[in-house]
Amino acid sequence: MSQAPLAPACAALLRRDLTLAWRRRGDIAMPVLYALIVVTLFPFALGPEDALLQRIAGGVVLVTVLLAMLLALDAMFRSDIEDGSLEQLVLAPQPLALMLGMKILAHWLTTALPLIVIAPLLAGMLHLPAAVMPVMLLALLLATPLLSLLGAILVALTAGTRRSGMLLALMLLPLCVPVVIFAAGAVAAAQQGLPWLAPIAWLGAALALALVLAPLACAAALRIALDA
Amino acid sequence: MTAPSAQSPLLLEARALSFYRQDEPVFGPLDFRLHEGEVVLVEGDNGSGKTTLLRVLAGLLHIDEGELLWRGGRWLRDAYLGDTLFLGHHLGLKADLSARENLAIAGGLYGTRDGVNANQVLADVGLPGYEDEPVRRLSAGQKKRAALARLLLLPATLWLLDEPYANLDRTGIELVNRLLEQHATRGGAALVTSHGAVSFLSGEPRRIRMHA
Repeated sequence: MSQAPLAPACAALLRRDLTLAWRRRGDIAMPVLYALIVVTLFPFALGPEDALLQRIAGGVVLVTVLLAMLLALDAMFRSDIEDGSLEQLVLAPQPLALMLGMKILAHWLTTALPLIVIAPLLAGMLHLPAAVMPVMLLALLLATPLLSLLGAILVALTAGTRRSGMLLALMLLPLCVPVVIFAAGAVAAAQQGLPWLAPIAWLGAALALALVLAPLACAAALRIALDA
Repeated sequence: MTAPSAQSPLLLEARALSFYRQDEPVFGPLDFRLHEGEVVLVEGDNGSGKTTLLRVLAGLLHIDEGELLWRGGRWLRDAYLGDTLFLGHHLGLKADLSARENLAIAGGLYGTRDGVNANQVLADVGLPGYEDEPVRRLSAGQKKRAALARLLLLPATLWLLDEPYANLDRTGIELVNRLLEQHATRGGAALVTSHGAVSFLSGEPRRIRMHA
């Protein structure tokens, strides 16, 4: 009898979630398509005025990417609860928090990463200056995992309730606001030639905290959700 | 098929175990002992708390009253996980993955018994030729068999099987009985729920009777 070692267990879970996402590629494409449509519509609605678009470009791209991520957030644990996989995961002889961390990582890789990849395209469509692009990407690289982690806690908290979408949106709003403020603040500062490191550092600090605490909170919340 | 010999070590013991849902008693107080090499049938009508009992024993639900002992000591989640295997109404299979891929993830999380592999156990449960078929295309009985394959692959001592006979044909029922018999001879133990008055187990298994 061989005990399951930790690293292969993490790898197996990550591989499973990525395989599942790949088999349902249409679901991954949805947030990307959504972001593309929203950003395309802005110049039509506001007029193709370069100066105006340039000023709003950073904020529009950030908000669009974060909103697109929310589309897929609800589904993070849903299918696992419905088919009983979550019970099997909770009962497995592995640290649940770490396993859920792997699930959140898989979720980030399949929803946020494609959005970050197309973010330069979106920003280009709104004439964001090329010099600001790296700052925007950095802000996204920190803000999206932070949102995935915060969102995961809320999804886990509302996992036991049916039609949790509405509740989730309401709970997520106050948590989204600081993320958007710091991310957009960094981009705006870079655009005006001001130092932009401080808001990025705040995002990084919040991310470091969330990386450690969010999986633990998720694990506790899901145990409670199943114990009902 | 179950010879509860007095010599075999005690695995699980419940003392006045009760469970309440919003102050309504679901079952209990319940006393029973489970030794290694024993298969015990949990019987009761619909709603008598069989599934709840199994979920409590699996560690998914908290214990309201009473005591649970595991191998003579206090029941601790960490010592217990991995040595038990719970098979519930939801089979824990991913519909988009094949039976083989589902087994691979279960093996990755729980570890595997020495000397068995996924192909072998899938052949054992009567799914040869369906290893790479997505689980969503399998029939209800075949899905059940794919879930039962986990029992053969994973190294757990205690099996908690909730209605393992549901959806299975005659050969499937024989398969479950054979698995239980093999498990008992290996020194494993199992709690099996069944809502019918009929038990499919050969011989005269010990029973725990649940009342609503």
